[in-house]
Amino acid sequence: MNTPADETPASTGAPAVELRCISKRFGDVVAVDSVNLEIADGEFFALLGPSGCGKTTTLRMIAGLDIPSEGSLLIHGDEVASSPPDRRPVNTVFQAYALFPHMTVAQNIAFGLNMRGIRGSEADRQVAEATTLVQLEGMEHRRPSQLSGGQQQRVALARALVNHPKVLLLDEPLGALDLKLRQEMQVELKVLQREVGITFVFVTHDQEEALAMSDRVGVMSQGRLLQVGTPAEVYEHPASRFVADFIGRTNLLEGVVESSSTVRLHAGAVVAAQSNLAAGTPAALSVRPEQVRLHRLGEAPAGAPCLDGVILDVTYLGHAFVYTVSISAASGTSNDATTVTARVETGEAAQAAGEPVSVSWAPATTTVVAD
Amino acid sequence: MSTLRRRSSPAKALLTPQEQTAQRRARRIGTLIASPGALYLLIFFMVPLGLITVYSFATRTSTGRTSLSGWNLNSYERLADDVILGIVGRSAWLAFITTVLCLAVAYPFAYYLATRSPRVRARLLVLVMIPFWTNGLVRIFAIRFLLGSNGPASALSEALGFGTFRILFTPTAVVLGMVYGFLTFMVLPLYVALERMDWRLVEAARDLYASGGKAFWRVTVPLTRSGIVAGCVLVFVPSFGSYVVPEILGGAKTLLIGSYVARQFQAARNWPLGASLSVLVIVAMLIAVTINQRNSENAERTRAGAP
Repeated sequence: MNTPADETPASTGAPAVELRCISKRFGDVVAVDSVNLEIADGEFFALLGPSGCGKTTTLRMIAGLDIPSEGSLLIHGDEVASSPPDRRPVNTVFQAYALFPHMTVAQNIAFGLNMRGIRGSEADRQVAEATTLVQLEGMEHRRPSQLSGGQQQRVALARALVNHPKVLLLDEPLGALDLKLRQEMQVELKVLQREVGITFVFVTHDQEEALAMSDRVGVMSQGRLLQVGTPAEVYEHPASRFVADFIGRTNLLEGVVESSSTVRLHAGAVVAAQSNLAAGTPAALSVRPEQVRLHRLGEAPAGAPCLDGVILDVTYLGHAFVYTVSISAASGTSNDATTVTARVETGEAAQAAGEPVSVSWAPATTTVVAD
Repeated sequence: MSTLRRRSSPAKALLTPQEQTAQRRARRIGTLIASPGALYLLIFFMVPLGLITVYSFATRTSTGRTSLSGWNLNSYERLADDVILGIVGRSAWLAFITTVLCLAVAYPFAYYLATRSPRVRARLLVLVMIPFWTNGLVRIFAIRFLLGSNGPASALSEALGFGTFRILFTPTAVVLGMVYGFLTFMVLPLYVALERMDWRLVEAARDLYASGGKAFWRVTVPLTRSGIVAGCVLVFVPSFGSYVVPEILGGAKTLLIGSYVARQFQAARNWPLGASLSVLVIVAMLIAVTINQRNSENAERTRAGAP
């Protein structure tokens, strides 16, 4: 098979993509701020963050559509920071697909092959292969404007994958699809990635999507890469307040680190929580709603961290209830507006708003995060 | 009337009386606002056009008057005359060269314009328009002075050691003048097409191993085709029938359709011949405009999504 990968000798275990101190400035705006990142060969990597956090700029720098202001960028060990996009063994699935409207599906898919001098029957064969891979048989002679959003998405995928890139870059590829189709495509993309074995770098602002699809996640905010880890690591042990808040839902209970194993909450209690922050550091305790247990007032198991309060609101979700508990202010606290949300399986006894309750959690399921 | 309307739109039957009244009202208002323009076009465009068509079938009497009795095709038969065919051919050739040169000059400029920031764009567009605000005749006379054998262009050429040159009163001077005169008609549609261009498609092409040049020819040019065709029609049509520029810059040797038609209505006093040649030009232009129309409809369809 004629692929860009054949043009260079097999890489010697170098990461598929390596960013070393990459920065990008647009005028006075720092879009990406000295990011270091290694993405392994064959990995499904998600870059996650709110809009404007620099994730798309990072992706565009890997693609060669933006040139980094500083730093070096290696693809399978080759320095490419300033090479033009047509000289890089990567392909992109663009956010709005960017299919060529004046070409048919087959012509769109063949574009990259033609540009590399592959034409005629060999190009036809590879186009047919890619068309089958994304299940678009029979659509070859349609124009992009005659396809549904999901079909356009598949064309964009086929157009990139037909070139057998070393790295496939995906810029919010599912953003334009409706919820149901998006969930189907999440599974399909994951299966496809395993099938073709190509490194995927996936940009999204949807944390559920990132957790569901990727082998590892990088969380970005304001141009900085805050944390890189497996979905479980990032979810269970967020490295900062931003990550804890951005990934999934969490209760952030404000307080001050008292020792390496305790935190004094503004809500009054001193609770067990491991951290390596210095005593006296202002910090927050992140407790996931599904880890919070609800008890009748004063019936919390002894030894577990616990707070007393009143149920403010109950939301029924079908498979679970979400309770919002207003924590009673203990004397001398500065913040008396603390609430805790608890997510409880429907099977457990329901409680009504206004009831006094105690909430507790297992210390091992919490994380202390500083700003 | 009502049965006729119903036939024209079958959906009409589904409308309630209330909706029908509203629709009729909207239609009446539409007719009202369109009528001044329609009236103007009828009096100053359709009537003269009709007169010209009528005259083209008339007879020229021996005294040079036009006799409206005895319709015939004599003046149309005369159009096959070698002299007239030569004039038509020359006009078409010069209009073609003018169009090609305009495209070659205007495309890079429109590209530059469309890729600037909005503020710079607005300023440059004003610069493009400024010549339009001055008298066209004055501008053509300025070119005549510029290209004259005692003019600055010739003086510069002599100073550089190329010797004096004689361009004025040649087809070259006519083409230069027409390129200058009609360049704006090429720049504006190209600018509109390039301004609407989705540059992410060029990025996609670059990402798919196209060099900058290949991305331009395979993506940018096809996607701005409607602007290219519109600009070419807008330049070719007036160049083909151009009168002022060839009169001032062309001299006697470069006789083009416009001048020839004018001569028939003036000195030669052969109105039927002038009228039939005019009709020929109008038909040719109608064909060009139809091509343009079909082209822009196709472009719209590609954008909108119907097959």
